[in-house]
Amino acid sequence: MPFYLGIDVGSGWTKAVLCEDMDLKSYAISPSGGDYRKAAQHVVDMALKKHGVSIDDIAYTVATGYGASMVDFASEKPSDMSCHAKGINMLFPGVRTVIDVGAQFTRAIRIDENGRIVNFIMNEKCAGGSGKFLQVTARILHVNIEELGRLSLESTKPVEFTTACAVFAESEAVSRISEGALPADIVAGIHKAMASKIITLANRVGLMPDYAITGGGAKDIGLVKAIEKELKASSYVAHEPQITAALGAALFRHRI
Amino acid sequence: MPKFFAGVDIGSTMTKVVIFSGRIEATIIGPTGPEHRKLANKVMEEALKKANILFEDLSYIIATGYGRINVPFADRQITEITCHAKGLHSLLPTVKTIVDIGGQDSKGIKIKDGKVVSFVMNDKCAAGTGRFIEIMADTLGVPLNDMGSLSLTSDRPASISSTCTVFAEHEITNQLAGGETLANLVAGIHMSVATRVSSMVKKLTIEPDVAVTGGGAKNIGLVKALEAKLGYPVLLPPEPLITGALGAAVLAKEIFEKYEREGQTPIRSPFGLQEAKIFS
Repeated sequence: MPFYLGIDVGSGWTKAVLCEDMDLKSYAISPSGGDYRKAAQHVVDMALKKHGVSIDDIAYTVATGYGASMVDFASEKPSDMSCHAKGINMLFPGVRTVIDVGAQFTRAIRIDENGRIVNFIMNEKCAGGSGKFLQVTARILHVNIEELGRLSLESTKPVEFTTACAVFAESEAVSRISEGALPADIVAGIHKAMASKIITLANRVGLMPDYAITGGGAKDIGLVKAIEKELKASSYVAHEPQITAALGAALFRHRI
Repeated sequence: MPKFFAGVDIGSTMTKVVIFSGRIEATIIGPTGPEHRKLANKVMEEALKKANILFEDLSYIIATGYGRINVPFADRQITEITCHAKGLHSLLPTVKTIVDIGGQDSKGIKIKDGKVVSFVMNDKCAAGTGRFIEIMADTLGVPLNDMGSLSLTSDRPASISSTCTVFAEHEITNQLAGGETLANLVAGIHMSVATRVSSMVKKLTIEPDVAVTGGGAKNIGLVKALEAKLGYPVLLPPEPLITGALGAAVLAKEIFEKYEREGQTPIRSPFGLQEAKIFS
């Protein structure tokens, strides 16, 4: 069976997915850093190595994402929206609305039963509600970003944030900490503020169930719960939500 | 002995106190920090020391600014827009439009005879505020106080396409890596703030004279960029940070004297020089 490679060069993280025909065989995730070309090469090498194949075994390579133009060995470079849509359709065929929380960008994509885009909206003007909030929160609380979700679930009284701006939220959080707010309540408050901003955005594409949450933000259980609360519905979260677009890219040739 | 009045302006970044008797007796400017509710009494103590008077010598005290609720010993709170207009008018009476660039907001205020006619304000988004410049200075490793002079050496301001502070920070890092000079980047940063502020202030009809106040007025590069974008030369008060606190002190004097004229005694705060117990 032929091997396919999908690469998603995001603003924060670069991901590669290796599929054999339609089956996911291996993947790799690494920070994008300042050199997208190098980051892409790195994740490809890792993914190939994990499955013990060489670049010569690859039948077709598709690159997508913010830095896709830097991946010169890709045969095709579709938009990350369409890769996202295909990736999620492959994983959860019933999903009609995808909420993607990336490192810098937040977007909502409405898709049809064939994984085609019906409508989408992306917040590219303002970092409000993006993964940047999580990075900032982790930094000021001196915890790992991976711990935020668990911490958030311990909260009994989430702090009310008055701002949707990532920069101002940081100073607000610092003030609340100095006033004695608990870390758990700060994190839960940040999750709530993010969820509210994200759903305001997503509402503009017309929310339709089922829902999936993707991107690095979907790895944060506190954020997922906060978004579900705003949606008043449950959502699908993949085992590895960060590789959705890379998976869609790997499968791109298959499902036009 | 003259009567003394005080204005306390607790801004998001800096806390300012002015002691006033008809003329400025003392001014204090210090960082607000995260624990601003514990700060007002300390800066007031410093200001009193500088003016060489006692707390009991103050006839009336007005607090203003974003943290004005956390000044328990103030006799009254008045919004910073009103205080700003008052303070600026007492310094530069010909000014009709004020552009205030604070640490965490920016405002445009139209004034007539020291009173506010209309205003616009951004405190929702860090773009177009002092915070934007602060973050970029930090990213570039340029001391905040050097940003102004550095930008004047630019031959071609860098174009920064992102409005959002978070995205602009990324963009600047990339441009720096791509070989753009510090001076051009700093000039581009000032241009970005000036563009955003001027498009907001233009919602009011700008009438000269125009003054720039707040921390932003201390940055000559930003002032020049604002002049270019607003299309007017701008006046700067001698100490642009204290306009709000001065206005509060001037209003304290006016309010006190109005009570006196009417044969009344103003109600004073029951609290002495202590830190705030409650906070908002």
